Amino acid sequence: MDDYMIGVLSNIGIVSFVALSAYLLLLTGEISFGQQAFFAIGAYAAGIATALWGWPLALALAWGAVSGGGAAVLVGIPTLRLRGLYFSIATLAFAEMVRILFALFRYQVEIDGELVGPNGAEGFRSIRYIFDRNIDAVQFLLLIYSLLVAVLLGFFFLERSRTGVVFRMIGEDETLAGLQGISVARHKVLAAGIAGALAGVGGGLYAHLTTYVEPRIFDVMLGVHSLAYGLIGGLGTALGPLLGVLIDVGLLESIRPLAGYRMIIFGGIVALLLIVRPRGLLDERLVHRIGRLFVRSPPAKTDGRGKPA
Amino acid sequence: MVDLVQNTIDGLMIGSSYGLLALGFTLIFGVMRRLNLSYGPSVMIGGYLGTVVYLQFGAGPLTVAAAVVVGAAVAGIYVERLCFAPMKAGAAIASMVSSFAIWMQLEQAAILVLPRHTYAFPPLATGAPLELGPFAIRSDHLVMLCSALGLAAAVQLVLYRTRFGLALRAIIGNPVAAHLVGVDVRMVMPLAFAGASAIGGVAGFLVLAVDQQITPMFGMWATLKGLIAMMIGGLGSVPGAVLGGLLLGVIEAQSQWYFGPQIRDLVAYFVLFAFLAIRPRGLVGSMSEASTQKA
Amino acid sequence: MTAINLAYALAAAVAACLPAIAFAQVRAKADVACRPTPTTLQYDCVITLTNSRTNEPLSDVTLTVGADMPSMPMMHNVRPVKAAPREEPGSYQARLMLEMHGDWMLQLNLSGPLRDRVVTIIRFEPGRATLAAEPEVPSSRKH
Repeated sequence: MDDYMIGVLSNIGIVSFVALSAYLLLLTGEISFGQQAFFAIGAYAAGIATALWGWPLALALAWGAVSGGGAAVLVGIPTLRLRGLYFSIATLAFAEMVRILFALFRYQVEIDGELVGPNGAEGFRSIRYIFDRNIDAVQFLLLIYSLLVAVLLGFFFLERSRTGVVFRMIGEDETLAGLQGISVARHKVLAAGIAGALAGVGGGLYAHLTTYVEPRIFDVMLGVHSLAYGLIGGLGTALGPLLGVLIDVGLLESIRPLAGYRMIIFGGIVALLLIVRPRGLLDERLVHRIGRLFVRSPPAKTDGRGKPA
Repeated sequence: MVDLVQNTIDGLMIGSSYGLLALGFTLIFGVMRRLNLSYGPSVMIGGYLGTVVYLQFGAGPLTVAAAVVVGAAVAGIYVERLCFAPMKAGAAIASMVSSFAIWMQLEQAAILVLPRHTYAFPPLATGAPLELGPFAIRSDHLVMLCSALGLAAAVQLVLYRTRFGLALRAIIGNPVAAHLVGVDVRMVMPLAFAGASAIGGVAGFLVLAVDQQITPMFGMWATLKGLIAMMIGGLGSVPGAVLGGLLLGVIEAQSQWYFGPQIRDLVAYFVLFAFLAIRPRGLVGSMSEASTQKA
Repeated sequence: MTAINLAYALAAAVAACLPAIAFAQVRAKADVACRPTPTTLQYDCVITLTNSRTNEPLSDVTLTVGADMPSMPMMHNVRPVKAAPREEPGSYQARLMLEMHGDWMLQLNLSGPLRDRVVTIIRFEPGRATLAAEPEVPSSRKH
């Protein structure tokens, strides 16, 4: 596998984390334009952990997840009573504030005679962990995908657990869910926290892959893109956002000769697709139908006493 | 003290343009109940058209302004036809994501036509600033303020004195009822969209002429400023949009003077967040607008 | 939830076990200068690599140049280009084909005797390419 494919696959893997992060919130019925903030927090946190504090990667990624999740919970609480559009714009405002704060954030430590650390708008370079330890590109790719598979497994179990069903219930009709005795607030904060942690892990991976992060990377574009992936790929399953990522990043490749018009074509395709399938390709109905293919059909006739005729 | 007042004056001037941006945004939202992420980019398309007219033909400010408005309106209709008209009633996020996709499209189209990072834009008015005691008022600021207030007044007139305005208010109030009493909703929507985008176009022209340059970042900038001003003022409210814009302008001017451009943006977002957390209906909006936008 | 925790623990164990071969002690510093070519969106870049501690030029390094945009991370896939060494020690040349104009993060990947990555941000416009020192403040009023 050449360097180029490894690079593309690594990108697909990392973007999937943010896409899944936005997807989880979409399940609870909330549109978040701000997941890129937790991606940023995870990136800076993990980068600081390895480059400035000398932590091992695993711990740094966990720290990225915790920072992302923690920040998400902190912002989830004041926005609890906001619904719909108001919530979405609040997430956008928060994400932009985080981005500007990182542009003002300076934390530099002298290591081996040079200053290392986030330097405001000039960014945070030299996150050299994988180079210092000679971890090559393929190994890092495996790390990304093993984490991603773990997350997908997590989603698989979540969708079948009571919590997952509750999330979707809240997404369908919050008031009704509350009337059923579900603690809506607690579940929303939980969803926000998990989503933040997911984005944080993605951010940590990104920081180490590219060795350089700066505030400009984490702007609205990233957030709206990750949201779009779930909506294009479908909200029926966690594979939906991944499909969305594949279509975008994958499509780029096939349209390489038209590279300058890529956005125009992609934008047009997405707009047309959404007219026909407003809940994405793998929407709930399709997933349900596919699921039914694997279920044994019940007995056709009974003799009036519940026994097959 | 002098600085404070000077900044307030400057802030009110630029705020009037924000108010216009918010006005267009709020009209679309009021009519559609959906967020149009392509609003700023439509205005930017107008701006780029104006730039092309200026650079290719050396046109004067009025012609450029007309080009900007026409470009914005046409882009607005394109967005409406593709992202909003064909969507069924409940597909609010689909419209929004679709408008995001078109935002990307419009941005790339603009960059393809004019690939450089900045282009010159004709100035609004040249001439020495007006001196009012210790305060200075730039002549182009003054033109901007008067144009913005004039247009806002005109919009108010259309809304409250014409049949079209009545139909629009009816739809904003209750789309189903409006349909039931015979308002041709299908006709009003695209016209309202075009009108709102045109208003945005005027705002865009004023800002660009004062800045005397246009960059590809303008689309997102316009969307964000319009959005913040609209939310501060109150969703779906015309006087709210203007008030929100003026307030935002003043806050920004003060922040920039004392703390620099980055803090200025930080404060703007913080004010937005604070309003949403504490008083989501904004300055003058009504609680009924705090509706749920389901998937 | 335990499933997720277990999975994370497994992955952490894998990551922590990855071979920790000796540090790459050498860190590289790069100076990049790019010139436009007659073809649109194609640029010739001259890259000078030096040891960041001793300031000696780094020759005989395999240098690959990739690119990504800070404003749209991971969404561009410019094919990495192998840089050709030039006569001066530590100097390499690469021809880049970009997707659009604007600011790009050039990823200079060093392999061969030493592994490192240096990132430089260059603003590519029709007719010129400059070092993008400070990301610009969005279009705004200037007093």
